[in-house]
Amino acid sequence: MTSAWLMMTSSALLAQTGAPAAMAGPTLAHYLFVSAAMFALGLIGFLTRRNLIIMFLSTELMFQAAGIALIAFSRFHLNHTGETFVIFVLTIAAAEAAMALALVVLLFRRRESLDAQQWDEMSG
Amino acid sequence: MTIADRLSFLWPEIILFGATCGVMMLGLSKHRSTRKLCAPVSGIALIAAGVAAWLTTPGPDTVTAQTGQLLFPGLALYGKGMIAVVGVLMLLLVAGTVDRADEEHIAARRARFNPLSSNRAEFYSFFLFSLTGLMLCAGADDLIWLFLALELTSLPTYIMVTMSGASAGSWMAWRNKSQEAGVKYFFLGALGAAVFLYGFALIYGGTGSTNLNEISDHIAHQGLNSLTMTGLLLALAGLGFKVAAVPMHFYTADVYEGAAAPVSAFLAFTPKTAGFLGIILLCGCMGWNYPPHGLAEAPSAAGLWSPDPAGNSLPEPIRLMLWVIAALTMTVGNVLAILQNSIKRLLAYSSIAHSGYMLVGVMVGPGAADGPFGKNGVAAVLFYLFCYGVMNLGAFAVVAVLERTPGRLADAQPGEVHEIESIDELRGLCRTRPLLGWVMAICSLSLLGLPPLVGFFAKAPLFTSAISAGEITLVVVLGINSAIAAYYYLRLVRCVMLEDPDPASPPTNESPFGSRRLAGVLSAAGVLVLAVGGNAVMRTAHHAAAYRAADATDARHADLHRPDPSPGQARAATDAP
Repeated sequence: MTSAWLMMTSSALLAQTGAPAAMAGPTLAHYLFVSAAMFALGLIGFLTRRNLIIMFLSTELMFQAAGIALIAFSRFHLNHTGETFVIFVLTIAAAEAAMALALVVLLFRRRESLDAQQWDEMSG
Repeated sequence: MTIADRLSFLWPEIILFGATCGVMMLGLSKHRSTRKLCAPVSGIALIAAGVAAWLTTPGPDTVTAQTGQLLFPGLALYGKGMIAVVGVLMLLLVAGTVDRADEEHIAARRARFNPLSSNRAEFYSFFLFSLTGLMLCAGADDLIWLFLALELTSLPTYIMVTMSGASAGSWMAWRNKSQEAGVKYFFLGALGAAVFLYGFALIYGGTGSTNLNEISDHIAHQGLNSLTMTGLLLALAGLGFKVAAVPMHFYTADVYEGAAAPVSAFLAFTPKTAGFLGIILLCGCMGWNYPPHGLAEAPSAAGLWSPDPAGNSLPEPIRLMLWVIAALTMTVGNVLAILQNSIKRLLAYSSIAHSGYMLVGVMVGPGAADGPFGKNGVAAVLFYLFCYGVMNLGAFAVVAVLERTPGRLADAQPGEVHEIESIDELRGLCRTRPLLGWVMAICSLSLLGLPPLVGFFAKAPLFTSAISAGEITLVVVLGINSAIAAYYYLRLVRCVMLEDPDPASPPTNESPFGSRRLAGVLSAAGVLVLAVGGNAVMRTAHHAAAYRAADATDARHADLHRPDPSPGQARAATDAP
């Protein structure tokens, strides 16, 4: 197990030096798999959990999944556009986090609960 | 192209941003007269931004190095102009939404101005921020830019919804509804943003660029690979949240009901326009030149959907998705609108239905290169967005002006405002308040699409463009839906024009803000004026829909409506590798 991890990290380092890595190292597919799994987990979490903070963390997970995909593609295409994109994504994610926490605090003051299902005064 | 060249196309946004910062300061002043400057300054900034757009944003006929880089060279000019005009109308409507009780208390010397609890400054600056983002959407030429612009449009609206229940003054007296609406809107908005962001990431992965122009070239030369296709599907689905398309529409009615009426009117225009601009840009990237649906072959061995100079349709998976979403959106929106008794929920579902109509136009695409306005679906959508913004605003203005008389209500706090809720409270409006009654009647007839009004001239091109593209089934769905819509719009018209006032409903009075009435009257007047003189707007929309189709054969580069192509202007045609 450890040796496999070592091999993966070392070939990732090798890949940084410019030469396209052979099949041994983590390829684009590995990164994409991680990012897709994170995105799916975030989506499932958003749909199934009812705690507002967990729901927000799920959307955050989806944002970061996109970030991983962008960086992996950026390395794959050998340009920096994806990395630039990620910087902006992080900024937006931070803004959204501030907003989400503000809303959550506001709601908690009124109801002493963060259960999304308590907030159903209006019929959908 | 230097950064200075690029910035010179952003004068409208720069003006709006400057005004945003100024308004944020003004609203915190100790002096009432200075605080009152918030709204006028915002209005002046919007007008200045409109003028700046007119003067500095290049139209489709003045192709420069910059516009040669844009997929839709005329879109920025049209979009910014439309946003400035509708923005001024919306500004008239939002007056007094959040600060009314505070100001009344201060005027009556019951309270002193407290900058910590005042939120007038934030409200106006968020309003301007959101419109700045919307203008940026219109000029987007890069996925990063588009993402930031979409977020700049939506983030302020979440706060505006939450704040809009604050008219009662103190924090604890905020209506629960607006907070619930704000939270719901924020969470689903964040989900939508995450979905289209992932889509953008995959589009970048599939094409190696975030520049819309380069993406378009890449797709034209190498076809759509499956990664790009997945990305586009996800991005369009995520943008569906912004336009309230049907599987992603659940928040709409609750949010519109929970927010104050002026903010609901704002929501019906701003995120929807941002979403449609984004959808049009993404569809422009792949181009509407794939084999028509009847002839669609399975993707080639490499998993590619290749553009075909003879084709006039979106790639089959995208076309199918938009087809289904459009049909569902119209039908669900209209059917649920019939069942509503609350006026704001009715308008919310009608806004969903209107999104469905517009998706038809996007799906159909701009048609043949030099086709007339009636065959150009994108032009129809752009014109529809403008008309919808104006006529919907009139309907919401009536709801915003009428409020229940506070003295009779059991739990009335001083300064608390109760909006009217059910449609029955509008009964006999033409008799009791003829001005408002007529505004409501004209606007709902126009939303219905009755011939002499602008709603008809906006909807007709959607029909004709879909027919010329051969989407007959969808046209039938569109027609049936227009008939369903007639039921509830005519019910509204009958309520205000023919019925007697309902003695059982709580007494109403008019909002003290004259500007709201002015917004209603101006929208109704706009509906009538556009019906007569909408040709100029249609022509601009038609120019705005001309797109730089990057085609491997170079055959469609003549798409731009250029009076006479000089060497400088032909640059756009030759920069494809």
